[in-house]
Amino acid sequence: MKMILELSKVGISFETPRGSFEALKEVDLKIGEGEFISLIGHSGCGKSTVLNIVAGLLQATSGGAILDGKEVYEPGPERAVVFQNHSLLPWLTAYENVELAVKRVFKGKKSKAEMREWIEHNLSLVHMSHAMDKRPDEISGGMKQRVGIARALAMQPRVLLMDEPFGALDALTRAHLQDSLMDIHRKLGNTVIMITHDVDEAVLLSDRIVMMTNGPSATIGEVLDVPLPRPRDRLALADDPLFNRCRQRVLQFLYEKQRKVQPISLPIDSKKKNKKEERKHG
Amino acid sequence: MRMSWGKLRTAAKACAAICALTITSLSVAEVGYPEKEELKFGFIKLTDMAPLAIAYEKGFFEDEGLYVTLEAQANWKVLLDRVIDGQLDGAHMLAGQPLGATIGFGTQAHIITAFSMDLNGNGITVSNAVWDEMKKHVPMKDGKPVHPIKADALKPVVEKYRAEGKPFNLGMVFPVSTHNYELRYWLAAGGIHPGYYAPAKGDTSGQLKADVLLSVTPPPQMPATMEAGTIYGYCVGEPWNQQAVFKGIGVPVITDYEIWKNNPEKVFGVSKEWADKYPNTHIRVVKAMIRAAQWLDENNNANRPEAVKILAKPNYVGADAEVIANSMTGTFEYEKGDKRSVPDFNVFFRYNATFPYYSDAIWYLTQMRRWGQISDTKPDSWYTETAKKVYRPDIYAIAAKELIAEGKVKAADFPDFASEDGFRPPQKEFIDGVEYNGRTPNAYLESLKIGLKAKDKM
Amino acid sequence: MSSITMPGWIEPYLSVVKGEASRAQVAQLLRQIGLPVLGLLTFIFLWHIAAQRIDTSLGKFPGPSDVSQQVSTLYAEHKAGRAKEKAFYQRQEVRIEDRVAADPDYVPVRRDYTGSPTFFDQIITSLITVMCGFLVASVIAIPLGIVIGLSTSVHAATNPLIQLFKPVSPLAWLPLVTMVVSAVYVSDDPMVAKSFVVSMITVSLCSLWPTLINTSVGVTSVSQDLVNVSRVLRLGWAEHVRKIVIPSALPMIFTGLRLSLGIAWMVLIAAEMLAQNPGLGKFVWDEFQNGSSQSLGRIMVAVLTIGLIGFLLDRTMLGLQRWLVWDKQSAQR
Repeated sequence: MKMILELSKVGISFETPRGSFEALKEVDLKIGEGEFISLIGHSGCGKSTVLNIVAGLLQATSGGAILDGKEVYEPGPERAVVFQNHSLLPWLTAYENVELAVKRVFKGKKSKAEMREWIEHNLSLVHMSHAMDKRPDEISGGMKQRVGIARALAMQPRVLLMDEPFGALDALTRAHLQDSLMDIHRKLGNTVIMITHDVDEAVLLSDRIVMMTNGPSATIGEVLDVPLPRPRDRLALADDPLFNRCRQRVLQFLYEKQRKVQPISLPIDSKKKNKKEERKHG
Repeated sequence: MRMSWGKLRTAAKACAAICALTITSLSVAEVGYPEKEELKFGFIKLTDMAPLAIAYEKGFFEDEGLYVTLEAQANWKVLLDRVIDGQLDGAHMLAGQPLGATIGFGTQAHIITAFSMDLNGNGITVSNAVWDEMKKHVPMKDGKPVHPIKADALKPVVEKYRAEGKPFNLGMVFPVSTHNYELRYWLAAGGIHPGYYAPAKGDTSGQLKADVLLSVTPPPQMPATMEAGTIYGYCVGEPWNQQAVFKGIGVPVITDYEIWKNNPEKVFGVSKEWADKYPNTHIRVVKAMIRAAQWLDENNNANRPEAVKILAKPNYVGADAEVIANSMTGTFEYEKGDKRSVPDFNVFFRYNATFPYYSDAIWYLTQMRRWGQISDTKPDSWYTETAKKVYRPDIYAIAAKELIAEGKVKAADFPDFASEDGFRPPQKEFIDGVEYNGRTPNAYLESLKIGLKAKDKM
Repeated sequence: MSSITMPGWIEPYLSVVKGEASRAQVAQLLRQIGLPVLGLLTFIFLWHIAAQRIDTSLGKFPGPSDVSQQVSTLYAEHKAGRAKEKAFYQRQEVRIEDRVAADPDYVPVRRDYTGSPTFFDQIITSLITVMCGFLVASVIAIPLGIVIGLSTSVHAATNPLIQLFKPVSPLAWLPLVTMVVSAVYVSDDPMVAKSFVVSMITVSLCSLWPTLINTSVGVTSVSQDLVNVSRVLRLGWAEHVRKIVIPSALPMIFTGLRLSLGIAWMVLIAAEMLAQNPGLGKFVWDEFQNGSSQSLGRIMVAVLTIGLIGFLLDRTMLGLQRWLVWDKQSAQR
């Protein structure tokens, strides 16, 4: 398999009023073309930070990400991002949101008609053709996320980066979108890095699952190959021993090896955030 | 026929010479078309702005090819400033304003006048409370006060207030206003010191050594200010004295006609720069205003009721017609119900009211010196020169002769331009009987009891 | 998209008309129409009673009937003014003919009517002035607000100045503006009157602050997600501002604009009163100076007119906001 993306010795530290805080340390990962990778770990472990470094939204303090042999130092459409809360421009329709990206990426490369066709094509990929002219506030959360995916796909990225894309959705909608995503991945063969904290989702969608240790100085704990054949069917897999073994491995990693032990020294902000979350759950 | 300004003046002079020789009918070179047709004149809401309103409403301005807009101004300072900076082409001004501006008291600017707007028209009003005190000292006849009432009657009241530690405040409309000088003249004639100015020392309040404190209030606000108790009385033009009677808040005690019979009042002022730039326009404005003044006095004030109606419009004076009518139609109401006939309360045309006499200018200059607005003593010649710089009977004469030639006015209603030198004969009809001769201002100043003398310097 | 939907508030009226209104709908109607009408009637009644008891030196305080009478007087004056204007133009034509006959070289120039403006003319003047002042303020405040919002350094540099000038009343600016305009705006044949420029600048100076502040806040609070979208798309600075920042800040900008227009209108009336610049403020001042028995009634008409116009201006801005801004929540009241 041809390697498309390489993370080598990536580390990042943030300056806080209490001094330097090392979030990531020595993250090494190679990703092949067409591979579907999931990043999983407890919240606050730095999954998003890894993704943001790949996206170019954050700069690594040491090491770096290399895409197609070139080092990444700024964001760009060849590393399209699907954000957790869709991040659609609320004043534009679904069509216009995708159009913004298409115009930016294919300016001078596609004619107007071609662009139109391309936008519609991508919206139909995510089953949103019927609601092209709706604004984000007129459609459901799942539909918004579909448009977000269409926008990312329409950029024809080398790597598609997804930051907990289905985290805010209900279980049913999430299942639908997972199926759609698998379908698209099968058709287009994109390289995907997805962050999730849903173990089933990770196993169902991924070729490999990258499990992160807890921070500070988080890094890759284990990498699990998911040798399940594609296309995968969620009903059939429910009773599949291989599927369950994979699931088991991930769960073990998360709840035995990397059980979250409190307190740990976190920057003030994330500490507060954690407390809030605890209160919510308790 | 178009003529240059220079030619025009030569023609006018030649004409004057012919007049002097023949005294027959006149033929005057025609004044050229106006250089500026759209004009904006400012005024203060007072009945003596009437010549402007009449010249507009009766079409006299339009007859001269002038399209004039009349605009009420907030106060005398704003009005003067706007004439100086050119927002207004000309304005209804206090006689002291062109003089004060030209000699540099207040804002410095060369302002000239070729038209006197009226004679008399002011009064002094005191609040009801002051009048009640004052009345005890006023001689009575048939149950009514004997007029003119002198400030002698006010003196004990002022002394009482001062003894109680209360400053006695009076309002006048502007430091160089006729009203300021008239009020001061009346007070001083009654032995009350109205205070000196000392501009050289930066004191422009005019309250040095004062028995009573005079301060500025815009005319239309006089009644309200007195009602509020800020001032105990004021000197102002009409209709604001009569307004006090109608509102029942005060009593007019004297008119300026009684302080100085047929005293010159407002003038029509323009900047020297404007007049030099638009000579024909200026003459034509004066022509229109002479006609308006004539209309106002014509047939023994026959047009006055109509004039009152015009002035009562909100865009002119705007007070109730009956208030304006009181003084404009020749009566003046002192105490409520004590209405007396004062046919010459407002004079717009007769007695050569519109002619800009040098001697009138000099009287104002003497008062400026008397009260310290002019810090140093000045020779008699300075008074004449200054008056000639500001008052322009030459321009007036061209306008008047033109009108005579057009048959719109009678030569008999004007001074004999050939022999007129701009000085009225010595006048004696002041409330204190002191004679004024415009040719000897310094001697006049010496003859006044209260006031600066030649040796004094503020 | 294009189907016409009946606004919700029409429904109860329709049902009443059709005679099928439920009790709840009737109650809703009473609340919507009945209460405001009741409030208005109570106010007029109280005003009527109070007016009779307030004695001023210009007579009784004008009650509702005096005011309605003054409205018709003002209208009659307006009509008379227009008739005079017509006569003025006819006279002018005759004069021009005469002059052309006497002086064939003369190139006729038509002069504008010189009569005094009527109440309704003053309203128009005020509206034009406030609009121009508001436009100037917006043209300055919106771009400046965007720059301030985008750059924390510019914000830090300008914030003290903004806080310093924001609370300055028009009364304080006016003399300075008047003197500066007199000195700077010199022309023999000015395109617009100095007084107009003075009022306009004063209005702008006082009304630009809410727009400036709200714009900068709106820009600062553009969601980080949208900024990331822009970064991923590698939008240039101009495109970022045009496509992301401005639309995103638009609800806040409009909130600022509405506040600004309200202030502009209030400031204008004060500026006109003080500086004697044409408009409704001057009308009020002139009537106060006139001190005739009608003056208070006429001032009261002006007061109500000023209020009504202020209200209509606000509603217009609200309508504009609803039409232009994507975030309908921000344009609720």
